[in-house]
Amino acid sequence: MGPEILKISDVYKQFDTHVVLRGVTLTVHRGEVVAVIGPSGSGKSTLLRCVNGLERIDSGDIWVSGDHITSAGADMPRIRRKIGMVFQHFNLFPHMSVVRNVAVGPMTVLRKPRAEAYELARRLLDRVGLAGKENAAPYQLSGGQQQRVAIARALAMDPSLILFDEPTSALDPELVNEVLLTMRELARQGMTMIVVTHEISFAEQVASRVVMFDEGKIVEDGTPREVLKYPRQERTQTFLKQLEHVIEP
Amino acid sequence: MGYQWHFGVVWDNLPFLLAGLEDTVALTVVSMGFGLTLGLAIALIRLKFPRVRPAIVIYVETFRTTPLLVQLIWIYDVLPAIGLRFDPFWSAILALTLNLGAYLSEIFRAGITSIPMGQTHAGLALGMSTAQVARVIVLPQAVRRIIPPLASMWVGLFKDTSLASAIAVAELSYRANVLAVQTYRPVEILTVVAAIYFVLTYPQARLTYWISNLVRVRE
Repeated sequence: MGPEILKISDVYKQFDTHVVLRGVTLTVHRGEVVAVIGPSGSGKSTLLRCVNGLERIDSGDIWVSGDHITSAGADMPRIRRKIGMVFQHFNLFPHMSVVRNVAVGPMTVLRKPRAEAYELARRLLDRVGLAGKENAAPYQLSGGQQQRVAIARALAMDPSLILFDEPTSALDPELVNEVLLTMRELARQGMTMIVVTHEISFAEQVASRVVMFDEGKIVEDGTPREVLKYPRQERTQTFLKQLEHVIEP
Repeated sequence: MGYQWHFGVVWDNLPFLLAGLEDTVALTVVSMGFGLTLGLAIALIRLKFPRVRPAIVIYVETFRTTPLLVQLIWIYDVLPAIGLRFDPFWSAILALTLNLGAYLSEIFRAGITSIPMGQTHAGLALGMSTAQVARVIVLPQAVRRIIPPLASMWVGLFKDTSLASAIAVAELSYRANVLAVQTYRPVEILTVVAAIYFVLTYPQARLTYWISNLVRVRE
């Protein structure tokens, strides 16, 4: 196993009276692809947002590449550079062309010259299969294409970890595959990824590890085979059964 | 017998009349400049410091729920009673600025808050500072949404400067009234003045429409 990229220790988080995370502990090593599954509202997305500081935790500790990000003086902008994030609803910048969406991070945050950032952006767009779409506006692309731009945008910062927050949940079914293929390619190239997803086949085929979330806790953690084929917890079994779309009389 | 039109009177006094445009334009440009600054400042203060919100609401609602004409006269006639005396031109600037500031602050606020939080999160996730998110992500989108209402405020303001005639600012309408009284030809004079406003305002209205289309962001 590679070195630790992310270490989450006993994290609690609540919104008003609703406790979302109840003592989550998780360590991710370089090169791991962790699929996080579990029912809606179980705290999966909130956990991702705590990892890059978009949400503040109530107690516990999070380290990213050794930086203690939950201490008061943590330099979040600097830490976030190394953590890519891909959102459920893409969140592309609608006032920028596709290529600029990808280049704006390096230009604004890393102060890269425009020509260099655009060159990088073109290479990354090519890598996610969007060569030729550089000058399009985001709205001109399909959802699947937009999400691949969002992946290229995250890659442009050369992150050591990418968080995917239900990246295919907002897509039409026929567009899901192109995004999953792009993500599989990233995984194959050794990118460390945490993917909150309902795509069990993706978890099965691409993830090196599957984590089952329920009611703000990790209830099962293991290889895809362990968690998806031979789940030990009843909650995991019930959840997986519900995903099979079997209509019973 | 019909009315005998005598436009010769207008023609003879055209230089006097048109000289008023200087103040009309000056009132528009100067109070829009101040109004934009005031409106943006108020909007940002309101978003950043929720605690001063009540004071801002009182200001905004006072100026949005009373007639501009009343505000003008009040500032010109009442402020001297507490030792603040401005000449008519600057009284008009003050009234127009305060009135515009109230409306514009609401336009700015609505424009900024209409940008979804996801945009801010996407910027922060790239490692941008909050200032960079504002400058690169939120404000450019907000400005595009604000420009159409801003442009119609501009056109409205250009015409509303005529209210400054009530406190003897020698702009276009004031001069029209002076001439009308002197020459007993109000019909001709006001017709021509209306035409002047139309000729000047219509292109501005078209221009604002064109700009609005130009900057529209599709999503």
